[in-house]
Amino acid sequence: MTSDTSSISTPSDPPEASSTSSEPPMDLSLPSSSPSEPTSDARPNLIDIPENLQVRLKPEGDKLLLILPPDAEQTKSPIGFSWNEVWQQFKQQLSARERFWQPNSAVYLMVGDRLLDNRQLQAIADELSDLQLQLRWVYTSRRQTAVVAATAGYSVEQQTAAAPIAKPTTAAPSMEEPLYVQMTLRSGTEIRHNGTVVVLGDLNPGSSVIAAGDILVWGRLRGVAHAGCKGDSRCLILALQLEPTQIRIADFVARAPETPPAHYHPEVAYVSPKRTIRIARASDFQRPEWENQA
Amino acid sequence: MARIIVITSGKGGVGKTTTTANLGMALAKRRRKVVVVDADFGLRNLDLLLGLENRVVYTAVEVLAGQCRLEQALVKDKRFNNLALLPAAQNRTKEAVTPDQMKQLVNALARVYEYILIDCPAGIEMGFQNAIAAAKEAVIVTTPEISAVRDADRVIGLLEANNVKQIQLLINRIKPAMVQANDMMSVADVQEILAVKLLGVIPDDEKVIVSTNKGEPLVLSETPSQAGTAFDNVVRRLEGEPVPFMDLTVRDEGLLSRLRRILSNRA
Ligand SMILES: Nc1ncnc2c1ncn2[C@@H]1O[C@H](COP(=O)(O)OP(=O)(O)OP(=O)(O)O)[C@@H](O)[C@H]1O
Ligand SMILES: [Mg+2]
Repeated sequence: MTSDTSSISTPSDPPEASSTSSEPPMDLSLPSSSPSEPTSDARPNLIDIPENLQVRLKPEGDKLLLILPPDAEQTKSPIGFSWNEVWQQFKQQLSARERFWQPNSAVYLMVGDRLLDNRQLQAIADELSDLQLQLRWVYTSRRQTAVVAATAGYSVEQQTAAAPIAKPTTAAPSMEEPLYVQMTLRSGTEIRHNGTVVVLGDLNPGSSVIAAGDILVWGRLRGVAHAGCKGDSRCLILALQLEPTQIRIADFVARAPETPPAHYHPEVAYVSPKRTIRIARASDFQRPEWENQA
Repeated sequence: MARIIVITSGKGGVGKTTTTANLGMALAKRRRKVVVVDADFGLRNLDLLLGLENRVVYTAVEVLAGQCRLEQALVKDKRFNNLALLPAAQNRTKEAVTPDQMKQLVNALARVYEYILIDCPAGIEMGFQNAIAAAKEAVIVTTPEISAVRDADRVIGLLEANNVKQIQLLINRIKPAMVQANDMMSVADVQEILAVKLLGVIPDDEKVIVSTNKGEPLVLSETPSQAGTAFDNVVRRLEGEPVPFMDLTVRDEGLLSRLRRILSNRA
């Protein structure tokens, strides 16, 4: 069993696809801007993936951590989520990753300073037990939630608000174990992972995967894929059928050609030494030689 | 066991209410005990399409508030007494009911009726959550437009996450001539993205609008129409009959008619 940090969500505003002038079919690069002039508005921002941005299920040894993001109403921060959104994410996580934990794993629920009422807690417990998972511990910084959880018969640890709830273990490593997802990502679904992502299924238009490492799609990639989102331009995007809305590697961006090719082959997208995103047939692909660069 | 089917789409105006009214009526014609539930609180339409507006006295909200019994709120159809409508409140918003309350209502109905069709509002917010809460099956309505298909895809994802696993697709307002000219997505194009079972294809048909205005679903009409037949076929498929899909290609003329056309053009 691997330990990983990942999240699946359904964001309300999908990232806007930037457009560029048309290019020859095999070169999907933007008009290149040299690295020293970071002016081009088409270059995507590098993305950090904070620990508690979305609902996350994280196997850790023989237990499973279920980490909830902060509440939209309490945190003034825009990354807060309403209960409804949290619930959707939670269910999606469960259905996409069903095979990733042993039955009867104990679940440790980390709610931070989100308030949970009895019904919400019960809903989570019911859903987990449908999958033979048992809610055991509730970690909260709110007295109210601690009382609710204790009354419902769970072990409770009340932490001070300042304690980093989402980090029960040591600090997250710079890159985590690959995340394997077996589902078709439908419109509105987003996966963010601080490592490599493997999708067994399609990325439909309107979905996106944002990964600090590589992105491998055993299926059709028609949504948005952002590999090396923390800045590693050696990352790759591989797909059986690459017809993306947009692909990004580190801070490079490219979109599919206007006219789709008649046939698709497994392909690899990479950043060439000329610093543009290029696409090669998987069978022809050789990793470019990189001079040492950050 | 009652079949509880939500008619939903994501995008607005693609024909959910039209579909609910026609399927409900067509099932009633087949002597099924059917109740159609309007879950579009605040923007109710289903009573209009069924021509039952003037008979609405109570709504789901009064039932939940204990101001009337469920039975009193049900409007029985005047043409088929095995068809009933549970109206939505017009003066309330989507937040007026909760998913749990919706489940209560629907489960009570499920004890009496064979089919419960729930007309879902557009969007994916509270109204959608309410409408799908009790559903066991879903009919996704989409038009062959990229935005409608995108929203349908999103909704399918949400349904799957909410354990509504039996999902079928209804493509509405196909214009065969446009498809043939490559100006409209084809059935195959839509299916390729959504990858769920196809339940039916309804052509774009002016008669739908006429029937809407009359409060008389097309499937009741004496004069057959393409859309009406297509809705009838959908119901037969729902009931498990294998019905071939209608040929909607623009008259792929036989030799004879082609000759006739060429000759008449000469004339
Ligand atoms: N097959 C069709 N051919 C022609 N017009 C149609 C067809 N289906 C629906 N319409 C028309 O499209 C309009 C919208 O239909 P309807 O109200 O059923 O959509 P809806 O999805 O319920 O909308 P809302 O999201 O607002 O609830 C109506 O005017 C209806 O008459
Ligand atoms: Mg409607």
